[in-house]
Amino acid sequence: MLRPAPFVVLALACALVAPPAFAQAPQDDPDRDFSFEQPDFSLITLPTTLRLPQFKSSFRVTHRFNRPLGQGDVGDLAGDLFGLDAGAQIGLEYRFGLMRGLQAGIYRTSDKTIEFFSQYNLLQQAGASPVAVGVLASIDGTNNFRDSYSPALGVAISRTIPRVGALYVEPIWVNNSNASPSELVDDNDTFLIGVGARVRIRPTVYLVGEIVPRVAGYDPGVTHGTFGIEKRAGGHMFQLNFSNSFGSTIGQLARGGLNNDDWYLGFNISRKFF
Amino acid sequence: MTKRLGAAIMLAAACTAGCDEKLSDVAGPTPNLTATFSSIYQEILVTADPSGRQACIRCHRPGRSGFREVGMDLSTPDVAYAHLVGVRSVLRPGALRVAPGDPGNSFLIHKLEGRDLVGVRMPQNADPLTPGQIQIIARWIQRGAPRD
Repeated sequence: MLRPAPFVVLALACALVAPPAFAQAPQDDPDRDFSFEQPDFSLITLPTTLRLPQFKSSFRVTHRFNRPLGQGDVGDLAGDLFGLDAGAQIGLEYRFGLMRGLQAGIYRTSDKTIEFFSQYNLLQQAGASPVAVGVLASIDGTNNFRDSYSPALGVAISRTIPRVGALYVEPIWVNNSNASPSELVDDNDTFLIGVGARVRIRPTVYLVGEIVPRVAGYDPGVTHGTFGIEKRAGGHMFQLNFSNSFGSTIGQLARGGLNNDDWYLGFNISRKFF
Repeated sequence: MTKRLGAAIMLAAACTAGCDEKLSDVAGPTPNLTATFSSIYQEILVTADPSGRQACIRCHRPGRSGFREVGMDLSTPDVAYAHLVGVRSVLRPGALRVAPGDPGNSFLIHKLEGRDLVGVRMPQNADPLTPGQIQIIARWIQRGAPRD
């Protein structure tokens, strides 16, 4: 079975797309400045266009609890501490700034899916450009990256509103989103458009939301949707969210949510190391 | 920049070409089985699996029980196609053995899966087809059951 070599693919993609590296990061790197509009590298599952400074890194942990919030009555829900007593799909992510505007990382979820991802910020919102644009490339594989690989290519387009927040549109093409051989299915790819927003409602508190409609190709289940509230504390971001699925990699988003009747509690915690 | 973009697209194409699942993984004991009539005829109708599945032609040919009871003859590809596709089932006259484009209402699939049966599951007195083999046959029917 022909298998993609993820590290080689990632490295080559970086080398092909990125401009030549500077010998040394500038001392007053503007990428290190805090952004009120984009305080983190992710919304809830979708990436933002926030640049990660060269040679700096960030870590994120994600939880999606398995108990539907609508199961049983309010007493049952409180008895299960709103789902926290149930199992959860847990994800761990680490990303690193390879060079100015280019970041790459790895994300593993507890269903044994591993995702390698990279992002190159092609344009920044400044001067003649009303939006920022980042090029996204990722590949995830199930069974600890042994089975069912789903590579994805896309762009993240953002428009920030000074000190208020940011809007995002992210068209992404996902290959092999269907786990059946292409000879047996009508659609093996998914074209999705992630739409999201982050709004600052207090100096360090934000509301976030995303919806990820599949506009063409394989689209089982229902459109993935999620919303949440988050609090920034220094280099940390604490986020409480509600989702109709456990999906958090691009391939999982392509496969959609479970249904619109069941919503699940979750949280994300991220930490910047700079 | 254009060269880099072209190279990136070629790289992505090369990567994605290797990502599709293998049909042979689904086909199991018949790794050469594909969703075409000629392949199904060769791999399923006239060839048995070493694991214990009998070939359909063992009974469905002139002089044998499957021909005497329901009149199904699979002795050559042309005859088999003519006896399967768009032909009313003897056991369930309201159903077609193979309803082109509609595997869910094809009596052949019911007989192979052992659901909603009249009579017994096929192959009789032998191991059933694997879910993957049935899935491939169903895909051929979904494609319109062409004579390919």
